[in-house]
Amino acid sequence: MLKRLFIVVAIFIALLSIVLLICSDKTLLTHPLGIIARGELKLMTTNILLMLIIVVPTYIFLFFTAWKYRASNPSPRRKPPFPLKEPILWMIPAVIVVVMAVITYKATHALDPYKPLTAEAKPLKIQVVALDWKWLFIYPEQGIATLNFIQFPERTPVHLTLSADGSPMNSFWLPQLSGQIYAMSGMVTPLHIMADGPGIYSGRAAEINGAGFADMTFVAKSTSQEDFEAWVAEVKQAPLQLTDSAYNELVQRSQNNPVTFYSFVEENLFHRIVMKYAQ
Amino acid sequence: MPSNNFFGKLTSDALPHVWYTLGGTAFMVLLGAMVALFLTKTNRWSWLWKEWLTSTDPKKIGTMYMLFAALMFFRGMLDALMLWVQQALAAGGQGYLTADHFQQIFTSHGDIMVFFVTMGFFFGLMNWIVPLQIGARDLAYPFLNSLGLWLTVAGGILINLFFVIGGEFANTGWLAITPLSEREFNPGVGVDYLIWSLQLSGLGSLLAGINFLVTIIKKRAPGMTLMRMPLFTWTSLCAMVLIISAFPVLTATTFLLWLDRFFDMHFFVTGFGGNQMMYFNLIWMWGHPEVYILVIPAFGMFSEIVSTFSQKKVAGYVSLVCAAIAITLLSYMVWLHHFFTMGAGANVNAFFGIVTMVIAIPSGVQVFNWILTMYRGRVIFASPMYWFMGFISTFIVGGMAGILLATPPVDYQVHNSLFLVAHFHTMIIGVALFGIFAGTTYWFPKIFGFTLNERLGKRAFWFWLIGFYVSFVPLYLLGMMGATRRLDHYDAATGWQPLFITSCIGFFFIASGVITQIIQLVVSIKERKKHLDKTGDPWNARGLEWSTSSPPPFYNFALIPTVTSRDAFWQMKQKHSSPKRLYKDIHMPKNTPMGIYIAGAAFVFGFAIVWQILWLSLLAALCVIALIIKLSCNEETEYVLPAAKVAKMEKLRTHADAK
Repeated sequence: MLKRLFIVVAIFIALLSIVLLICSDKTLLTHPLGIIARGELKLMTTNILLMLIIVVPTYIFLFFTAWKYRASNPSPRRKPPFPLKEPILWMIPAVIVVVMAVITYKATHALDPYKPLTAEAKPLKIQVVALDWKWLFIYPEQGIATLNFIQFPERTPVHLTLSADGSPMNSFWLPQLSGQIYAMSGMVTPLHIMADGPGIYSGRAAEINGAGFADMTFVAKSTSQEDFEAWVAEVKQAPLQLTDSAYNELVQRSQNNPVTFYSFVEENLFHRIVMKYAQ
Repeated sequence: MPSNNFFGKLTSDALPHVWYTLGGTAFMVLLGAMVALFLTKTNRWSWLWKEWLTSTDPKKIGTMYMLFAALMFFRGMLDALMLWVQQALAAGGQGYLTADHFQQIFTSHGDIMVFFVTMGFFFGLMNWIVPLQIGARDLAYPFLNSLGLWLTVAGGILINLFFVIGGEFANTGWLAITPLSEREFNPGVGVDYLIWSLQLSGLGSLLAGINFLVTIIKKRAPGMTLMRMPLFTWTSLCAMVLIISAFPVLTATTFLLWLDRFFDMHFFVTGFGGNQMMYFNLIWMWGHPEVYILVIPAFGMFSEIVSTFSQKKVAGYVSLVCAAIAITLLSYMVWLHHFFTMGAGANVNAFFGIVTMVIAIPSGVQVFNWILTMYRGRVIFASPMYWFMGFISTFIVGGMAGILLATPPVDYQVHNSLFLVAHFHTMIIGVALFGIFAGTTYWFPKIFGFTLNERLGKRAFWFWLIGFYVSFVPLYLLGMMGATRRLDHYDAATGWQPLFITSCIGFFFIASGVITQIIQLVVSIKERKKHLDKTGDPWNARGLEWSTSSPPPFYNFALIPTVTSRDAFWQMKQKHSSPKRLYKDIHMPKNTPMGIYIAGAAFVFGFAIVWQILWLSLLAALCVIALIIKLSCNEETEYVLPAAKVAKMEKLRTHADAK
C-alpha cells in the first residue's frame, strides 16, 4: 500500500508542478498589485509556513510509523509505548496556534476594511452600488458616475463605500487589490484600496445573487494622476446623465450591461439609495 | 399571498414540460414500476412491510438508512456530474445549462449530500453499531427511531418531487440565503421545496438525535461508565448533543423564512425593518455545528479502526475524548467565520478567527494520537486502514486550508471562491465519506455475517483517493486564480478552463470508485459463503459489538454483558471468560406502522404547503395529530420473549454456527 501511495503522490506532485508552472501568471492572489492584497498574501504565506512547521514532521512521522510498524515487518521493537506524555501533545499545536493568533489579531486590525490608508496623495472617494446585475460607481467629488468600470490614480488611497439597491446580498471582489466585502441594501460597508502602479484589474461579484451572477464583472484601471484627471474631464463630456429617472431605469434587472459613463449624478444619490431601506 | 385556486399554485403550467423534468419523471415512474413488479413476482410485499418498513429493530432501520442514503448519493453524484461538465464547457459561452438551472443543481447537490447522504449514512452506522457497542438490545425509543427514518425519507422524497410534479428547486445555494430566497427575488416554489424538505428531515434528525442521546446515557451495559465507552459511541454522543442544540435553530430559521414568503412578513427582507444579515447569523448558528455533526462521528470510527488494525489499544483515550468534547463546544463559538466579509469590525473578526484556530489544537491532538496508536503496533493494512491513511493525509490538508479561511484578512480573499469549495469538500469527502466507507467496510460483517471483498475495496479506495485529488486540487488553484464558486460560465481569458476540465476528469475517477464499490458489494454477496464470519469477530477487534455473533440475533445479546474496563471484548478474550448461560425474559419492542403513517401524513402536509393547497395541508396536519393521539393510546408496544425461548434460540444458533 505504502509503495503505491508514494508512487501516486510522486506522480501527483509532478503533475501539480507542471500545472503550477503553466498557470502561475494567472493566479491573481499570488500576484497582488495593491498594498492590501499584498498584506493579505503575506499573511497567508506566514500562516502556511507556520503550519508547515508541524505538518511536515507529522507527515513524515505518519508514513514512517505506518511503514515501520506494518504487521509484515518482524524486526521492530514493539514495547514499551511512546514516551511522550499527553499534555505535551496538546502543547505542540497550542504553541503554533498562539503564534498564529497573535499574528492574526494584528493583521486583522492592520488590514481592516474600515481602516483608512495613509499616503501622500489625497484619498479619492468612490461610492459603489450593486444593482441586479451590474456595478454602479459614483464619484461624488467629481460629480460623475460609471457602470461596470472604475478608474483611479495609482499610489492614491481609494475609499470605497458600498451599498446595494434592488439586489440581494452582493460581494465586491477585486482580487489583485484587496479581498472582498459585502454590498447590501440599506447598509454601507467600507473598503480601502491602493494600487502600486498603473494597471488593469478584473473584479467580480462573489456572492450568488441570481440569474446574472456570472456576468456581474467589472474592470478597474489605475493610471497616473494626470491621466486620471484627463479621464474625468472626458467623462464629463459624456452624453448620458444619471438623473433620478435615468437611475430608476437603471435599477431594473438587466444583464451584460456595457461600460457606461455618466457626466452628471444627482446630488446625494448614494445617500438616498441607502436611506430608501431605512423606512 | 395564498392562492385561491383549489390546487393552490399547482396548475397545469407547473407540471413538468422540459426535458430534464420529463426525463426525471419517466425514470422515477419506471424505477417504481420495476420495483413493484419485482415485489409482486416474488410475492414479497408483506415481507417488505412486516420485516422492514414497520421494523423497530435498529439494525434494520440502520440498513434502511444506508440504502436510502446510497440512493440519494447517486442523485447527488448526478448533480455533481452535471455541474462539472457545465463548468468544463462553459468558457466564453453558456455551456449546456442555463444559469437558473445550474443554480438549482448546485443547491440540490449541497442539500442532498449534506442532509440525506452524509447524515443518512451516519445515522445508518449509528443504528447498526451504537446499541451493540454499549451492550443494549434496542434504542431508548424504538418507535421514534422508525419515525425519524421515515421523516428523513419523506424529506428526501419532497426534495426530489419537483422532477415528477413540476415546479423548480431553489436557486439560492444550499442555505437559501436571504434576501435572495425571499419572494422578491424568488417567487416560485423552489425555496418552499427546500424549506419544507429541510423541516421534515430536520425533525427526523432531531428525533434521532434525542433517541441516541438518551440511549447512550441510559442504556449502557452494567459497568460501562462514560469513560469506558468506545470512541465511536463517544463521538456519536457529541454529534447528538450538537444535533439537539442546533437543529431547532434550523427549524425556527427556515420557518421564519417561510413566514416571510407566505405571510409577507419582514424578518429577513430588505427594507421594512427586515434584517438580511440576521438570517446569516441564525443559519450559521445551526450550520457550523452541522458541519461538525458530519465529521465528528468519523473521528470516532477512525479511532476504533486504527486501534483494531494496529492490534493495540488506542493511544491517549482520554485525550481523544477531551478533543471530541472540545471540538463540540468550540463549534458553537465560530459561526461568524462564515461571513467575515459582511463588515463586522476587526475585533469581532479577530475573535471568531482565533477561536476557529483553537479548533486546530484538539484536531492536531487527534492526529498525533492516531499515529501514536500505530507506533509500536502491528499494523494490518486491511481496506479500512487504506481509508484511514487516505483520511489522515487529506484531513491535514483540509485543516490547513481551514486555518487559512479562519484568518480574517486571508478569508477576504478566498471567501466565496473555489478555494472554499475545495476546503469543505476536502473535509466532507476526505473525512466524513472516507469515514463512512471505512466504517461500513469494518462493521459490514457484523450486520450481514460476511466480509466485503478486500481486493475490490482497495481498488475503490485508489479510485476515490486519486479522483478526489484530481478533482479538488484544481479547485484550490482556481480559487487562487480568482474564480468564485457557483459560476455557470466564465470568460475564456481567465485561463480557468484547463483546470475545470482536469477537475471534471477527477469526477470520472470518483465515479469509477463508486462503480467499483457497487461491484464489490455484488461480488461479496455472491461469494458470501467463502467469507462467512463464523466467529463474530473477523478483525480480532476490541469492542462489545464483536462479542455477539455476526449477524447478531434481533435481541443483540442473549445475556447483557458486564463491562469491567475499556475495550471490554478484548479483556474478555484475554481472560477467556464466558458468562454463565442463565437466560432471562427479554422485553422487545413490537413493530409498528405508525412511523410510516405519521411521516406519510407529514409528507402530504409538506407537499400541500409547498403548493399552498390550504385545505389539503390542514387535512394532513389533522391526520398527523390524530395519528399521534392514537399512538399515545396504544400501551402494548412491547412483547416478552420468554427465557426458555431465548435458550432454545441460542442453542439453535450456536448449533448452526458449529455446523
